[in-house]
Amino acid sequence: MNQPLIIEMRTIAQKLLAARTVGTIIGWEKGSRWYLTPPAFIHNEDQVDRLYFDRFAVNNLAKYLLDYRDSDEKVAVFVKGCDSRGIIRLIQDNQVKKENIIVIGLPCAGMYDRAKVEDPENPHDLPLLNKCLECRYPNPVYADRLVGEVSVSSESGRPTGTYSGFATAQSVGSRADRRFEAVDTLNNLPSGQKALLWQTYAERCLRCYACRNICPACNCAGCIFDSDRKQWTTKAALQSANSFFLVTRAMHVAERCVECGECERVCPAGIPVMSLNRLVSKEINRLCGAYDAGIELKSSFPLSHFNLAVKVGS
Amino acid sequence: MKTLNKISLNSALEIFASYAPLYVPAGNETFSGFVRYSTGLEVRLDKNTKLGPKSLLFPRVENLYSYSNHGKDTEISPVPKEIEPTIIFGVRSCDLQAIVCLDDVFLSQTSRGGINDYNYRIRRGNAIIVALGCLEADGDCFCQSMGVDPSEHEQADLQLFDLGESFGVESHTAKGLNLSRLLENSGLLAEKKVAKPRPASFALTVDAQGITHKLQKMFDHSLWDELGAKCLNCGVCTYVCPACHCFDISVCAKDGCNGSTIRHWDSCMFSQYTEMAGGHNPRPGKKEKVRQRFLHKLRYFPERYGKFLCTGCGRCVALCPVNLDITEVIRRVKEAEIDG
Repeated sequence: MNQPLIIEMRTIAQKLLAARTVGTIIGWEKGSRWYLTPPAFIHNEDQVDRLYFDRFAVNNLAKYLLDYRDSDEKVAVFVKGCDSRGIIRLIQDNQVKKENIIVIGLPCAGMYDRAKVEDPENPHDLPLLNKCLECRYPNPVYADRLVGEVSVSSESGRPTGTYSGFATAQSVGSRADRRFEAVDTLNNLPSGQKALLWQTYAERCLRCYACRNICPACNCAGCIFDSDRKQWTTKAALQSANSFFLVTRAMHVAERCVECGECERVCPAGIPVMSLNRLVSKEINRLCGAYDAGIELKSSFPLSHFNLAVKVGS
Repeated sequence: MKTLNKISLNSALEIFASYAPLYVPAGNETFSGFVRYSTGLEVRLDKNTKLGPKSLLFPRVENLYSYSNHGKDTEISPVPKEIEPTIIFGVRSCDLQAIVCLDDVFLSQTSRGGINDYNYRIRRGNAIIVALGCLEADGDCFCQSMGVDPSEHEQADLQLFDLGESFGVESHTAKGLNLSRLLENSGLLAEKKVAKPRPASFALTVDAQGITHKLQKMFDHSLWDELGAKCLNCGVCTYVCPACHCFDISVCAKDGCNGSTIRHWDSCMFSQYTEMAGGHNPRPGKKEKVRQRFLHKLRYFPERYGKFLCTGCGRCVALCPVNLDITEVIRRVKEAEIDG
C-alpha cells in the first residue's frame, strides 16, 4: 500500500491528538504476521507512527465506537467504504453521537483474503475477499475528513482517490451484480439437502459470538443470548439452540447489515454467516424495493418505519 | 521400532474401529475436528485440526442429572454414563499436553481435599490416546516454547512417529500395547531399525521463562488496558483452546416439573461468566476479562499445577479476529516495566 497515504494518516492523527480534538484515534497497525493488520488505539502523538494501512486492514473499526457509547470522550476513527456504512448505522441506531466522533475516510483497493495464505512465511499473490469483489460502495459514504484524495460518495462501483484505477484493476466490485449468487445457490438446493447442510453448520457453531461481537449492526446494550435466565434459549451449544441463534442473529440485523462481511470472516467454524444476511437483504429488496443499509444518514427504513403506502407483496 | 506402512493406515483404522468407537482428525481448510470414524472417511493428518479433541473428554454440553418434582418430592435420576472405551487417533503433543492440564483440573482434586470430576474421570479413564508426533510446525505453532515436545508425549497410550513411508509405533501403556497387538495380530506391523525422527526447529518461538513470577507483580499494569481495548470479548480463543475448561451449569426445563441439569462450556470472555446474582460484575470490562485469561494461563495455573495452561497449539493466534496474539502478550509482559 502506498506510503504517502500512511504518512497522510499519521499526520492527520498527530494533528487531531496535538490539538486535543480527540483523545483516541482508532486505526490499524501491523500485527504479528505480514498478513495481519489488526486494530490499533492511539492516545499519544508519539504513537502515531504505529498507524498503518494495507490490504489486510480488514477489521471494521465502527464496532469499537460502542465502547465510547456512554462517555463524552471524542474519538477519531478511520473508515473504508464498508466501515463508513457501519458508522451511519450506529448513528441511526442512536448508539453514537455524531458530534463525538471524527470519521476519517480512506480510499480502498479491496482487502486480501488471508484465509488463502498458503505459506505463512512468504507473501504471494492473494485473491480479494468475496465481500470486496461484491462491493458496491468502495468510497466512504460518510466522513468528516478524507485522506488519499478519496471522495465521499454513495455512487455504486466507482472507486475514487489515489489508487482508484488500481482498485478497478483489482476487480473491486466486479461481482457486485452477482452478490446474491452464493445465497441463491444455497437456497436452490433440494430442501432435504439444505436442511442437512444447515444442521451441520448449526452443530459446528461454538456459540463464541464472534459474529455478533464484531458486527456494527449488533449493537443492543443487552443480548438475549447472554442470558438464559428467561429461558428463551439455553447457553448450551445444542444444535437446536444454535440454529435459533443463527436465525435470530440474521433476522435481528435485517435492514441494518452493512455487508462488511466481518461476521463470516471471524467465524471459527466456517459457517457462511453472510449468506444468511444476504438472504434477508434479498427478501427486503424483493418485498420493499431497493434498499441498502447505512448509505444515507436520513433514510427511511423498510422494516422499522411503518408506512401505510407500502404494501408488502407476496 | 515397530512400523506401520502408511498404505495400511485404513486397515489399521478399521481394526481400531471394530475394537472401540474411533475418533480421527477430518475436515477441510474451512473446518476440521475429531469425528467418529466410519469406513471411507478421509483422515486428515497433514496438519492439526481447527478444533482439538477436548470435546471428546469434556463435551460442549452434557447432562449431569435429570429431575422431576411431584408436589413436595423431588426425584433425581443420574444420567447413565457410557463406559465403553473410546480411541482418539492422531492427537498432537500440544493437544495431549492440554489433556494433561484438564487432568490436573478434574482429577487431582482428591489429593487437594476436593472431589474429582465424575464425568471427566469416566471419559478419561476409557479414552485410549493414539498420539502422532509432529515433524514441522504450522504457521502459528509454538509448543516447543511452552515446554512441549512436538515429536512425542509420554502420556500417549500409543505414540506414532512419522517416518515418511510409514509410522513408527511405540506403546507407552497397557491400553496402547493392546492396540499395538491388534495391529500386530493382523500382520500390519513390521520391525525396523529406525531412529525416532526429530522435529525441525520451530520458526515461531517465545521466551516464557520467568513469566509467572513477573505477572505476580503486574495485576494493575497498564498493559491490560491496552490489550483490552482491541479485544471484542468474543469466545473464539477460549473455545478453540484445547486447555480452556471453564463451564457453567444450567437447568434445561422441559416443563414446570421435569427437566435436567446440564453442564456446558463457558468463557471468561463473556460478561455473564462473572455476573453475580445481584447484578454486580467483578470483571466488568474488557480489560479485566483479557487480564483474567492471560493470568489464568500464565500465572494462576502454573502457581497451582506447575505448568502453563497454554500448550502452544496456536489456535487462538490463528483465529483471533483482532490478532490478540498470546506470544506477543508474553513478549510484552517480559518487556514491561514495573513501578516500584
